[in-house]
Amino acid sequence: MSYRFGLDELFVVELARTVRDAEVVFHGFGSPCATVAMHLAKRTHAPHALLIEGATYAVNPSPAFIAPSSNDHSLKRGSAYSMRFEEAFDMSIRGDMDLMFLSGIQIDAYGNTNVTAVGGMPHPKVKLGGGGGGCNMSATIGRLTLWTTNHRSGRCLVGECDFITDIGHRTPEGTRSELGYPGGGPDALVTELGVFDYPEGRARLRRLFPDVTLAEAKAVTGFEFAVAADLAPIQTPSRHQIDLVRAIDPLGVRRREFRPAELERSFSL
Amino acid sequence: MAVHLAPDKLADLETAVALVQPGSMVALGGGLSARLPMALVRGLIRAAIGDLHVVGSAHSIDVDLLAAAGAISVCEESYVGYEQDHGLAPAFRRAAQEGSLEARESCCDTILTQLRAAEMGLSFLPVHGVKGTDIEELHPEYSRVTCPFTGHEYVAVPPLAPDAALIHAPIGDRKGNLHIEQPYVLDERFAVASAMTIATVDRIATTDEVAAAGIVIPHYRVAAVVEAPFGAHPSSCYPGYSYDRAHLAFWVKAARTPEGAQDYLLRHVTGVDEDGYRQLVGADRLEHLTGYRASDQAWMEMFR
Repeated sequence: MSYRFGLDELFVVELARTVRDAEVVFHGFGSPCATVAMHLAKRTHAPHALLIEGATYAVNPSPAFIAPSSNDHSLKRGSAYSMRFEEAFDMSIRGDMDLMFLSGIQIDAYGNTNVTAVGGMPHPKVKLGGGGGGCNMSATIGRLTLWTTNHRSGRCLVGECDFITDIGHRTPEGTRSELGYPGGGPDALVTELGVFDYPEGRARLRRLFPDVTLAEAKAVTGFEFAVAADLAPIQTPSRHQIDLVRAIDPLGVRRREFRPAELERSFSL
Repeated sequence: MAVHLAPDKLADLETAVALVQPGSMVALGGGLSARLPMALVRGLIRAAIGDLHVVGSAHSIDVDLLAAAGAISVCEESYVGYEQDHGLAPAFRRAAQEGSLEARESCCDTILTQLRAAEMGLSFLPVHGVKGTDIEELHPEYSRVTCPFTGHEYVAVPPLAPDAALIHAPIGDRKGNLHIEQPYVLDERFAVASAMTIATVDRIATTDEVAAAGIVIPHYRVAAVVEAPFGAHPSSCYPGYSYDRAHLAFWVKAARTPEGAQDYLLRHVTGVDEDGYRQLVGADRLEHLTGYRASDQAWMEMFR
Protein backbone atom coordinates (compact mmCIF):
# COMPACT_ATOMS: atom_id res chain seq x y z
CA MET A 1 0.00 0.00 0.00
CA SER A 2 1.35 3.42 -0.85
CA TYR A 3 2.17 5.91 1.88
CA ARG A 4 0.64 9.32 1.22
CA PHE A 5 1.70 12.69 2.51
CA GLY A 6 0.75 16.29 1.93
CA LEU A 7 2.48 19.30 0.43
CA ASP A 8 2.83 20.85 3.89
CA GLU A 9 4.81 17.83 5.06
CA LEU A 10 7.09 17.71 2.03
CA PHE A 11 7.58 21.49 2.26
CA VAL A 12 8.80 21.20 5.85
CA VAL A 13 11.18 18.37 4.91
CA GLU A 14 12.61 20.56 2.15
CA LEU A 15 13.11 23.47 4.57
CA ALA A 16 14.81 21.13 7.05
CA ARG A 17 17.29 20.05 4.37
CA THR A 18 18.81 23.54 4.46
CA VAL A 19 20.00 23.00 8.06
CA ARG A 20 23.51 21.56 8.45
CA ASP A 21 24.71 19.59 11.42
CA ALA A 22 26.52 21.31 14.30
CA GLU A 23 25.48 24.84 13.44
CA VAL A 24 23.54 27.55 15.28
CA VAL A 25 20.00 27.82 13.91
CA PHE A 26 17.27 30.36 14.64
CA HIS A 27 13.85 31.31 13.32
CA GLY A 28 11.75 34.34 14.11
CA PHE A 29 8.15 34.53 15.29
CA GLY A 30 5.20 33.64 13.08
CA SER A 31 7.15 30.87 11.37
CA PRO A 32 5.43 27.54 12.01
CA CYS A 33 6.92 25.73 8.98
CA ALA A 34 10.42 26.86 9.94
CA THR A 35 9.83 25.84 13.56
CA VAL A 36 8.82 22.32 12.57
CA ALA A 37 11.70 22.12 10.07
CA MET A 38 14.26 23.07 12.70
CA HIS A 39 13.07 20.32 15.04
CA LEU A 40 12.91 17.82 12.18
CA ALA A 41 16.52 18.60 11.21
CA LYS A 42 17.64 18.27 14.83
CA ARG A 43 15.98 14.85 15.10
CA THR A 44 17.37 13.57 11.80
CA HIS A 45 20.49 14.79 10.00
CA ALA A 46 21.54 17.66 12.30
CA PRO A 47 21.56 16.20 15.83
CA HIS A 48 24.35 18.51 16.97
CA ALA A 49 22.71 21.75 15.81
CA LEU A 50 22.30 24.42 18.48
CA LEU A 51 18.66 25.25 18.07
CA ILE A 52 17.32 28.57 19.37
CA GLU A 53 13.57 28.35 19.65
CA GLY A 54 11.87 31.36 18.11
CA ALA A 55 10.68 34.10 20.40
CA THR A 56 11.28 32.05 23.57
CA TYR A 57 15.05 31.94 22.86
CA ALA A 58 15.11 28.52 24.56
CA VAL A 59 18.16 26.44 23.65
CA ASN A 60 17.56 22.92 22.31
CA PRO A 61 14.04 22.39 23.63
CA SER A 62 11.93 19.38 22.69
CA PRO A 63 8.35 20.67 22.76
CA ALA A 64 5.51 18.14 22.93
CA PHE A 65 3.68 20.14 20.25
CA ILE A 66 4.16 23.36 18.30
CA ALA A 67 1.99 26.13 19.74
CA PRO A 68 0.26 28.58 17.41
CA SER A 69 2.14 31.48 19.05
CA SER A 70 5.94 31.42 18.91
CA ASN A 71 6.64 32.72 22.42
CA ASP A 72 4.34 30.35 24.24
CA HIS A 73 6.17 28.68 27.10
CA SER A 74 5.19 25.22 25.86
CA LEU A 75 7.93 25.69 23.25
CA LYS A 76 10.55 25.86 26.04
CA ARG A 77 9.81 22.31 27.23
CA GLY A 78 12.92 20.22 27.78
CA SER A 79 15.27 23.19 27.51
CA ALA A 80 17.61 23.64 30.47
CA TYR A 81 18.56 27.17 29.44
CA SER A 82 16.92 30.07 27.66
CA MET A 83 18.95 32.90 26.20
CA ARG A 84 18.04 36.40 27.12
CA PHE A 85 16.72 38.46 24.21
CA GLU A 86 20.01 40.40 24.37
CA GLU A 87 22.16 37.27 24.11
CA ALA A 88 20.27 36.00 21.07
CA PHE A 89 20.46 39.31 19.24
CA ASP A 90 24.10 39.97 20.14
CA MET A 91 24.97 36.49 18.90
CA SER A 92 23.27 37.13 15.59
CA ILE A 93 24.71 40.56 14.85
CA ARG A 94 28.19 39.44 15.90
CA GLY A 95 27.93 36.80 13.19
CA ASP A 96 27.86 33.74 15.46
CA MET A 97 24.54 32.47 14.14
CA ASP A 98 24.90 30.23 11.12
CA LEU A 99 21.37 30.05 9.75
CA MET A 100 18.11 31.92 10.11
CA PHE A 101 14.78 31.22 8.44
CA LEU A 102 13.12 34.32 7.00
CA SER A 103 9.90 34.82 5.07
CA GLY A 104 8.50 37.68 3.01
CA ILE A 105 5.17 38.87 1.69
CA GLN A 106 7.23 40.13 -1.26
CA ILE A 107 10.61 38.68 -2.25
CA ASP A 108 12.71 39.96 -5.17
CA ALA A 109 15.34 38.21 -7.31
CA TYR A 110 18.15 39.22 -4.92
CA GLY A 111 16.30 37.87 -1.90
CA ASN A 112 15.34 41.23 -0.43
CA THR A 113 12.08 40.84 1.47
CA ASN A 114 9.18 43.10 2.33
CA VAL A 115 7.14 42.41 5.45
CA THR A 116 6.38 46.08 6.18
CA ALA A 117 3.90 47.40 3.64
CA VAL A 118 2.35 46.50 0.31
CA GLY A 119 2.35 49.75 -1.66
CA GLY A 120 5.31 51.05 0.37
CA MET A 121 5.46 53.69 3.08
CA PRO A 122 4.28 56.18 4.25
CA HIS A 123 1.01 55.42 2.45
CA PRO A 124 0.62 51.66 2.59
CA LYS A 125 -2.06 49.87 0.61
CA VAL A 126 -1.73 47.07 3.17
CA LYS A 127 0.22 47.69 6.37
CA LEU A 128 1.80 44.34 7.15
CA GLY A 129 2.89 43.20 10.60
CA GLY A 130 6.52 44.26 10.39
CA GLY A 131 9.99 42.79 10.29
CA GLY A 132 10.82 41.96 13.92
CA GLY A 133 14.60 41.72 14.12
CA GLY A 134 15.19 41.01 10.44
CA CYS A 135 16.65 44.28 9.19
CA ASN A 136 19.70 43.88 11.41
CA MET A 137 19.91 40.09 11.58
CA SER A 138 19.70 39.59 7.81
CA ALA A 139 22.90 41.64 7.48
CA THR A 140 25.10 39.51 9.71
CA ILE A 141 23.83 35.92 10.02
CA GLY A 142 25.88 33.33 8.13
CA ARG A 143 23.14 32.44 5.67
CA LEU A 144 19.40 32.75 5.29
CA THR A 145 16.81 30.23 4.18
CA LEU A 146 13.91 32.18 2.72
CA TRP A 147 10.50 30.64 2.32
CA THR A 148 7.04 31.48 1.10
CA THR A 149 3.84 29.49 0.72
CA ASN A 150 2.36 32.12 -1.60
CA HIS A 151 4.42 31.85 -4.79
CA ARG A 152 1.46 30.75 -6.93
CA SER A 153 -0.45 33.98 -6.24
CA GLY A 154 1.95 35.87 -8.51
CA ARG A 155 2.18 38.60 -5.86
CA CYS A 156 5.05 37.26 -3.78
CA LEU A 157 8.05 36.78 -6.08
CA VAL A 158 8.16 40.27 -7.51
CA GLY A 159 10.41 42.32 -9.80
CA GLU A 160 10.82 44.93 -7.11
CA CYS A 161 9.74 44.99 -3.46
CA ASP A 162 7.49 47.94 -2.57
CA PHE A 163 9.61 48.30 0.58
CA ILE A 164 12.84 46.56 1.61
CA THR A 165 12.59 45.36 5.20
CA ASP A 166 15.36 42.74 5.16
CA ILE A 167 18.55 42.59 3.13
CA GLY A 168 19.11 40.11 0.33
CA HIS A 169 22.21 40.07 -1.89
CA ARG A 170 21.87 43.60 -3.25
CA THR A 171 19.73 46.64 -2.55
CA PRO A 172 19.61 49.92 -4.52
CA GLU A 173 22.38 51.14 -2.17
CA GLY A 174 24.75 48.36 -3.17
CA THR A 175 25.82 44.76 -2.79
CA ARG A 176 26.35 43.13 0.58
CA SER A 177 30.08 43.64 0.34
CA GLU A 178 29.66 47.28 -0.68
CA LEU A 179 27.38 47.75 2.34
CA GLY A 180 30.00 46.03 4.49
CA TYR A 181 27.76 43.20 5.62
CA PRO A 182 29.57 40.09 6.83
CA GLY A 183 26.61 37.68 6.55
CA GLY A 184 26.27 35.50 3.48
CA GLY A 185 22.66 36.43 2.71
CA PRO A 186 19.99 34.18 1.20
CA ASP A 187 21.25 30.71 0.36
CA ALA A 188 17.94 29.05 -0.47
CA LEU A 189 14.37 30.04 -1.21
CA VAL A 190 11.77 27.33 -0.70
CA THR A 191 8.32 27.99 -2.17
CA GLU A 192 5.28 25.77 -2.53
CA LEU A 193 6.30 25.33 -6.19
CA GLY A 194 10.05 24.79 -6.00
CA VAL A 195 13.44 25.60 -4.54
CA PHE A 196 15.83 28.35 -5.63
CA ASP A 197 19.47 28.96 -4.79
CA TYR A 198 21.61 32.11 -5.28
CA PRO A 199 24.82 31.15 -7.09
CA GLU A 200 25.57 34.70 -8.30
CA GLY A 201 23.53 36.52 -5.69
CA ARG A 202 20.41 36.07 -7.83
CA ALA A 203 17.66 33.47 -7.57
CA ARG A 204 18.14 30.35 -9.75
CA LEU A 205 15.59 27.55 -9.88
CA ARG A 206 17.12 24.35 -8.58
CA ARG A 207 14.23 21.97 -7.87
CA LEU A 208 10.50 21.71 -8.57
CA PHE A 209 7.84 19.95 -6.55
CA PRO A 210 6.85 16.77 -8.43
CA ASP A 211 3.45 18.15 -9.49
CA VAL A 212 4.75 21.51 -10.78
CA THR A 213 6.08 22.40 -14.25
CA LEU A 214 8.71 24.97 -15.14
CA ALA A 215 6.14 26.90 -17.17
CA GLU A 216 3.85 27.15 -14.13
CA ALA A 217 6.69 28.48 -11.99
CA LYS A 218 7.72 31.01 -14.64
CA ALA A 219 4.17 32.28 -15.10
CA VAL A 220 3.83 33.38 -11.48
CA THR A 221 7.35 34.74 -10.92
CA GLY A 222 7.77 38.49 -11.37
CA PHE A 223 11.47 38.32 -12.27
CA GLU A 224 13.55 36.43 -14.81
CA PHE A 225 15.44 33.57 -13.28
CA ALA A 226 18.09 31.12 -14.43
CA VAL A 227 17.36 27.41 -14.29
CA ALA A 228 19.94 24.95 -12.99
CA ALA A 229 21.29 22.60 -15.65
CA ASP A 230 20.37 19.67 -13.43
CA LEU A 231 16.85 20.89 -12.61
CA ALA A 232 15.05 17.97 -11.04
CA PRO A 233 12.05 17.16 -8.90
CA ILE A 234 12.43 17.57 -5.15
CA GLN A 235 13.97 14.54 -3.52
CA THR A 236 11.49 12.04 -2.16
CA PRO A 237 11.34 12.14 1.64
CA SER A 238 11.59 9.08 3.82
CA ARG A 239 8.61 7.74 5.67
CA HIS A 240 10.53 8.42 8.87
CA GLN A 241 10.81 12.14 8.02
CA ILE A 242 7.09 12.45 7.32
CA ASP A 243 6.20 10.56 10.50
CA LEU A 244 8.43 12.93 12.46
CA VAL A 245 6.80 16.03 10.96
CA ARG A 246 3.45 14.72 12.18
CA ALA A 247 4.82 13.83 15.61
CA ILE A 248 6.56 17.20 16.08
CA ASP A 249 3.48 19.18 15.04
CA PRO A 250 0.39 17.21 16.08
CA LEU A 251 -1.76 20.37 16.00
CA GLY A 252 -0.86 20.92 12.35
CA VAL A 253 0.12 24.54 12.99
CA ARG A 254 2.34 24.33 9.86
CA ARG A 255 -0.81 23.96 7.74
CA ARG A 256 -1.95 27.48 8.66
CA GLU A 257 0.68 28.88 6.30
CA PHE A 258 -0.99 27.37 3.21
CA ARG A 259 -4.02 28.21 1.12
CA PRO A 260 -6.65 25.43 1.25
CA ALA A 261 -6.04 24.43 -2.38
CA GLU A 262 -2.33 23.82 -1.68
CA LEU A 263 -3.24 21.52 1.19
CA GLU A 264 -5.14 19.33 -1.29
CA ARG A 265 -1.85 18.45 -2.99
CA SER A 266 -0.56 15.06 -1.97
CA PHE A 267 2.23 12.71 -2.95
CA SER A 268 3.04 9.09 -2.26
CA LEU A 269 5.98 6.87 -1.49
CA MET B 1 15.92 56.68 34.49
CA ALA B 2 15.21 58.17 37.86
CA VAL B 3 15.11 55.92 40.90
CA HIS B 4 11.89 55.52 42.85
CA LEU B 5 12.44 55.18 46.56
CA ALA B 6 9.00 55.34 48.20
CA PRO B 7 8.72 52.42 50.63
CA ASP B 8 5.26 51.40 49.43
CA LYS B 9 4.31 51.64 45.74
CA LEU B 10 1.02 49.74 45.96
CA ALA B 11 -1.59 51.70 44.01
CA ASP B 12 -4.94 51.20 42.38
CA LEU B 13 -5.12 50.95 38.60
CA GLU B 14 -6.58 54.44 38.06
CA THR B 15 -3.85 56.11 40.13
CA ALA B 16 -1.11 54.16 38.37
CA VAL B 17 -2.45 54.89 34.90
CA ALA B 18 -2.68 58.61 35.71
CA LEU B 19 1.14 58.67 35.96
CA VAL B 20 1.18 58.42 32.16
CA GLN B 21 0.82 61.85 30.58
CA PRO B 22 -0.96 62.27 27.25
CA GLY B 23 1.63 62.55 24.49
CA SER B 24 4.28 60.55 26.30
CA MET B 25 6.50 57.73 25.07
CA VAL B 26 5.39 54.41 26.48
CA ALA B 27 7.28 51.10 26.34
CA LEU B 28 5.04 48.03 26.29
CA GLY B 29 6.46 45.02 28.11
CA GLY B 30 6.19 41.37 27.19
CA GLY B 31 5.51 40.49 23.56
CA LEU B 32 3.32 38.59 21.09
CA SER B 33 1.06 36.34 23.18
CA ALA B 34 2.94 36.64 26.49
CA ARG B 35 2.79 39.00 29.46
CA LEU B 36 1.30 41.99 27.67
CA PRO B 37 0.38 44.76 30.15
CA MET B 38 -3.31 44.48 29.26
CA ALA B 39 -4.84 45.79 32.51
CA LEU B 40 -2.74 48.95 32.09
CA VAL B 41 -3.68 49.19 28.41
CA ARG B 42 -7.37 48.93 29.32
CA GLY B 43 -6.80 51.47 32.10
CA LEU B 44 -5.21 53.94 29.68
CA ILE B 45 -8.16 53.59 27.31
CA ARG B 46 -10.70 54.08 30.14
CA ALA B 47 -8.84 57.22 31.23
CA ALA B 48 -8.69 58.43 27.61
CA ILE B 49 -4.93 59.02 27.84
CA GLY B 50 -3.89 59.32 24.22
CA ASP B 51 -1.44 60.76 21.70
CA LEU B 52 0.96 58.04 22.82
CA HIS B 53 4.26 57.12 21.18
CA VAL B 54 4.49 53.37 21.81
CA VAL B 55 7.81 51.54 21.49
CA GLY B 56 8.75 47.87 21.71
CA SER B 57 9.52 44.68 19.88
CA ALA B 58 6.90 42.26 18.54
CA HIS B 59 3.43 42.94 19.92
CA SER B 60 -0.21 42.16 19.29
CA ILE B 61 -3.51 42.99 21.01
CA ASP B 62 -1.98 45.59 23.35
CA VAL B 63 -1.06 47.87 20.43
CA ASP B 64 -4.15 46.85 18.47
CA LEU B 65 -6.54 47.87 21.28
CA LEU B 66 -4.77 51.20 21.82
CA ALA B 67 -4.93 51.80 18.06
CA ALA B 68 -8.65 50.99 18.04
CA ALA B 69 -9.16 53.53 20.83
CA GLY B 70 -7.28 56.17 18.80
CA ALA B 71 -4.72 56.47 21.59
CA ILE B 72 -1.55 56.07 19.48
CA SER B 73 0.05 58.83 17.42
CA VAL B 74 3.35 57.05 16.71
CA CYS B 75 3.90 53.29 16.72
CA GLU B 76 7.59 52.37 16.91
CA GLU B 77 7.22 48.61 17.35
CA SER B 78 9.06 46.01 15.28
CA TYR B 79 5.89 44.03 14.59
CA VAL B 80 2.19 44.23 15.38
CA GLY B 81 0.03 41.21 14.60
CA TYR B 82 -1.08 37.72 15.53
CA GLU B 83 1.53 35.71 13.62
CA GLN B 84 0.27 33.00 11.27
CA ASP B 85 -2.59 32.16 13.61
CA HIS B 86 -4.86 35.20 13.33
CA GLY B 87 -2.79 37.28 10.93
CA LEU B 88 -2.66 41.06 10.66
CA ALA B 89 -3.81 43.35 13.49
CA PRO B 90 -7.04 44.85 12.12
CA ALA B 91 -7.27 48.10 14.10
CA PHE B 92 -3.55 48.87 13.87
CA ARG B 93 -3.57 48.14 10.15
CA ARG B 94 -6.60 50.37 9.57
CA ALA B 95 -5.10 53.28 11.53
CA ALA B 96 -1.75 52.94 9.69
CA GLN B 97 -3.45 52.83 6.29
CA GLU B 98 -5.72 55.79 7.08
CA GLY B 99 -2.73 57.72 8.37
CA SER B 100 -4.30 58.43 11.77
CA LEU B 101 -1.29 56.66 13.29
CA GLU B 102 2.33 56.96 12.12
CA ALA B 103 3.79 53.47 11.70
CA ARG B 104 7.44 54.27 12.39
CA GLU B 105 8.39 50.62 12.19
CA SER B 106 11.61 49.67 13.90
CA CYS B 107 13.69 46.52 14.41
CA CYS B 108 13.99 44.53 17.65
CA ASP B 109 17.76 44.91 17.61
CA THR B 110 17.67 48.64 16.88
CA ILE B 111 15.27 49.21 19.79
CA LEU B 112 17.59 47.15 22.02
CA THR B 113 20.59 49.22 20.92
CA GLN B 114 18.75 52.51 21.52
CA LEU B 115 17.71 51.40 25.02
CA ARG B 116 21.32 50.45 25.75
CA ALA B 117 22.47 53.90 24.63
CA ALA B 118 20.00 55.43 27.08
CA GLU B 119 21.13 53.06 29.85
CA MET B 120 24.77 54.01 29.28
CA GLY B 121 24.06 57.71 28.96
CA LEU B 122 25.46 57.75 25.40
CA SER B 123 24.21 60.12 22.71
CA PHE B 124 24.25 57.36 20.06
CA LEU B 125 25.26 53.81 19.28
CA PRO B 126 25.87 52.17 15.90
CA VAL B 127 23.83 49.22 14.61
CA HIS B 128 25.09 46.45 12.36
CA GLY B 129 22.26 46.44 9.83
CA VAL B 130 19.45 48.77 8.68
CA LYS B 131 21.74 50.40 6.07
CA GLY B 132 20.33 49.76 2.60
CA THR B 133 16.84 48.90 3.88
CA ASP B 134 13.84 51.20 3.66
CA ILE B 135 13.43 51.07 7.45
CA GLU B 136 16.09 53.78 7.59
CA GLU B 137 13.78 56.08 5.55
CA LEU B 138 11.12 55.88 8.27
CA HIS B 139 13.55 57.33 10.82
CA PRO B 140 14.89 60.82 10.10
CA GLU B 141 16.37 60.73 13.61
CA TYR B 142 18.91 58.07 12.52
CA SER B 143 22.21 59.14 11.03
CA ARG B 144 25.42 57.58 9.71
CA VAL B 145 28.73 57.37 11.55
CA THR B 146 32.17 56.28 10.39
CA CYS B 147 34.22 54.12 12.73
CA PRO B 148 37.49 55.96 13.57
CA PHE B 149 39.38 52.66 13.68
CA THR B 150 38.15 50.73 10.64
CA GLY B 151 36.50 53.37 8.47
CA HIS B 152 33.34 51.28 8.33
CA GLU B 153 30.15 53.30 8.00
CA TYR B 154 27.35 52.33 10.39
CA VAL B 155 23.82 53.57 10.86
CA ALA B 156 23.86 55.55 14.14
CA VAL B 157 20.78 55.56 16.35
CA PRO B 158 19.92 57.91 19.21
CA PRO B 159 19.08 56.79 22.75
CA LEU B 160 15.53 55.78 23.51
CA ALA B 161 14.36 56.76 26.98
CA PRO B 162 10.61 56.14 27.34
CA ASP B 163 8.61 58.20 29.81
CA ALA B 164 7.06 55.04 31.19
CA ALA B 165 7.52 51.29 30.88
CA LEU B 166 4.32 49.27 31.37
CA ILE B 167 5.12 45.80 32.65
CA HIS B 168 3.01 42.91 33.85
CA ALA B 169 4.49 40.28 36.18
CA PRO B 170 3.08 37.19 37.90
CA ILE B 171 4.25 38.37 41.33
CA GLY B 172 5.74 41.47 42.89
CA ASP B 173 5.96 43.02 46.35
CA ARG B 174 4.61 46.35 47.61
CA LYS B 175 8.01 47.98 47.14
CA GLY B 176 7.90 47.16 43.42
CA ASN B 177 10.29 44.22 43.17
CA LEU B 178 9.09 42.09 40.26
CA HIS B 179 9.62 38.47 39.33
CA ILE B 180 8.97 37.41 35.75
CA GLU B 181 9.73 34.25 33.82
CA GLN B 182 11.71 34.05 30.61
CA PRO B 183 11.45 35.25 27.96
CA TYR B 184 11.92 38.63 29.64
CA VAL B 185 11.94 40.15 26.15
CA LEU B 186 13.01 43.81 26.58
CA ASP B 187 11.48 44.32 30.02
CA GLU B 188 14.78 44.62 31.90
CA ARG B 189 16.05 47.17 29.39
CA PHE B 190 12.76 49.10 29.45
CA ALA B 191 12.85 49.25 33.25
CA VAL B 192 16.31 50.83 33.29
CA ALA B 193 16.02 53.10 30.24
CA SER B 194 12.58 54.53 31.13
CA ALA B 195 11.88 57.36 33.55
CA MET B 196 9.62 55.01 35.49
CA THR B 197 8.12 51.55 35.40
CA ILE B 198 4.44 51.11 36.09
CA ALA B 199 3.71 47.50 36.98
CA THR B 200 0.74 45.25 37.38
CA VAL B 201 1.07 41.86 39.05
CA ASP B 202 -1.32 38.94 39.22
CA ARG B 203 -0.60 38.75 42.95
CA ILE B 204 1.16 40.88 45.54
CA ALA B 205 3.60 38.68 47.44
CA THR B 206 6.09 39.15 50.27
CA THR B 207 9.57 40.38 49.45
CA ASP B 208 10.92 37.00 50.58
CA GLU B 209 8.71 35.15 48.12
CA VAL B 210 9.63 37.45 45.22
CA ALA B 211 13.33 37.20 46.12
CA ALA B 212 13.13 33.40 46.29
CA ALA B 213 11.51 33.29 42.84
CA GLY B 214 14.12 35.74 41.55
CA ILE B 215 13.88 39.52 41.29
CA VAL B 216 14.19 40.48 37.62
CA ILE B 217 13.20 44.14 37.97
CA PRO B 218 14.30 45.82 41.22
CA HIS B 219 12.00 48.03 43.28
CA TYR B 220 13.88 51.29 42.64
CA ARG B 221 12.90 51.23 38.96
CA VAL B 222 9.21 50.93 39.77
CA ALA B 223 6.98 53.93 40.50
CA ALA B 224 3.74 52.05 41.12
CA VAL B 225 2.60 48.47 41.45
CA VAL B 226 -1.01 47.39 41.06
CA GLU B 227 -2.53 44.03 41.93
CA ALA B 228 -4.45 42.97 38.81
CA PRO B 229 -5.34 39.26 38.73
CA PHE B 230 -5.25 37.93 35.16
CA GLY B 231 -3.95 41.38 34.26
CA ALA B 232 -2.22 40.03 31.13
CA HIS B 233 -5.38 38.37 29.76
CA PRO B 234 -5.92 37.54 26.91
CA SER B 235 -2.12 37.08 26.73
CA SER B 236 -0.40 34.58 28.99
CA CYS B 237 1.38 35.09 32.28
CA TYR B 238 3.17 31.89 33.10
CA PRO B 239 3.34 30.11 35.50
CA GLY B 240 -0.20 31.33 36.13
CA TYR B 241 -2.12 30.96 32.89
CA SER B 242 -1.72 30.35 29.19
CA TYR B 243 -2.94 32.77 26.55
CA ASP B 244 -6.58 32.78 25.51
CA ARG B 245 -6.49 31.87 21.86
CA ALA B 246 -10.28 31.96 21.49
CA HIS B 247 -10.48 35.45 22.96
CA LEU B 248 -7.80 36.71 20.57
CA ALA B 249 -9.77 35.21 17.68
CA PHE B 250 -12.93 36.86 19.01
CA TRP B 251 -11.24 40.28 19.12
CA VAL B 252 -9.63 39.93 15.68
CA LYS B 253 -12.97 38.99 14.16
CA ALA B 254 -14.78 41.85 15.91
CA ALA B 255 -12.10 44.36 14.92
CA ARG B 256 -12.44 43.66 11.20
CA THR B 257 -14.89 46.57 11.11
CA PRO B 258 -14.50 49.87 12.98
CA GLU B 259 -17.95 49.31 14.51
CA GLY B 260 -16.98 45.85 15.76
CA ALA B 261 -13.82 47.24 17.34
CA GLN B 262 -15.79 50.01 19.07
CA ASP B 263 -18.37 47.47 20.33
CA TYR B 264 -15.58 45.42 21.85
CA LEU B 265 -14.04 48.49 23.50
CA LEU B 266 -17.39 49.53 24.94
CA ARG B 267 -18.22 46.09 26.23
CA HIS B 268 -14.82 44.85 27.39
CA VAL B 269 -12.93 48.03 28.27
CA THR B 270 -14.69 51.34 28.81
CA GLY B 271 -17.97 49.84 30.01
CA VAL B 272 -16.36 47.81 32.79
CA ASP B 273 -13.57 47.94 35.35
CA GLU B 274 -11.09 45.05 35.72
CA ASP B 275 -13.48 43.12 38.01
CA GLY B 276 -16.16 43.54 35.39
CA TYR B 277 -13.74 42.46 32.65
CA ARG B 278 -12.92 39.24 34.50
CA GLN B 279 -16.63 38.55 35.05
CA LEU B 280 -17.29 39.10 31.37
CA VAL B 281 -14.53 36.67 30.37
CA GLY B 282 -15.88 34.29 32.99
CA ALA B 283 -14.39 32.63 36.04
CA ASP B 284 -14.65 29.22 34.36
CA ARG B 285 -12.74 30.41 31.32
CA LEU B 286 -9.98 31.98 33.43
CA GLU B 287 -9.76 28.84 35.54
CA HIS B 288 -9.49 26.80 32.34
CA LEU B 289 -6.44 28.84 31.28
CA THR B 290 -4.63 27.82 34.46
CA GLY B 291 -5.20 24.14 33.61
CA TYR B 292 -2.35 23.96 31.10
CA ARG B 293 -0.05 22.51 33.74
CA ALA B 294 -2.02 19.28 34.21
CA SER B 295 -0.19 17.58 31.31
CA ASP B 296 1.35 18.17 27.88
CA GLN B 297 -1.93 16.94 26.46
CA ALA B 298 -3.95 19.47 28.48
CA TRP B 299 -1.59 22.23 27.40
CA MET B 300 -1.93 21.25 23.75
CA GLU B 301 -5.72 21.14 24.00
CA MET B 302 -5.63 24.83 25.01
CA PHE B 303 -4.66 25.60 21.43
CA ARG B 304 -6.83 23.20 19.44
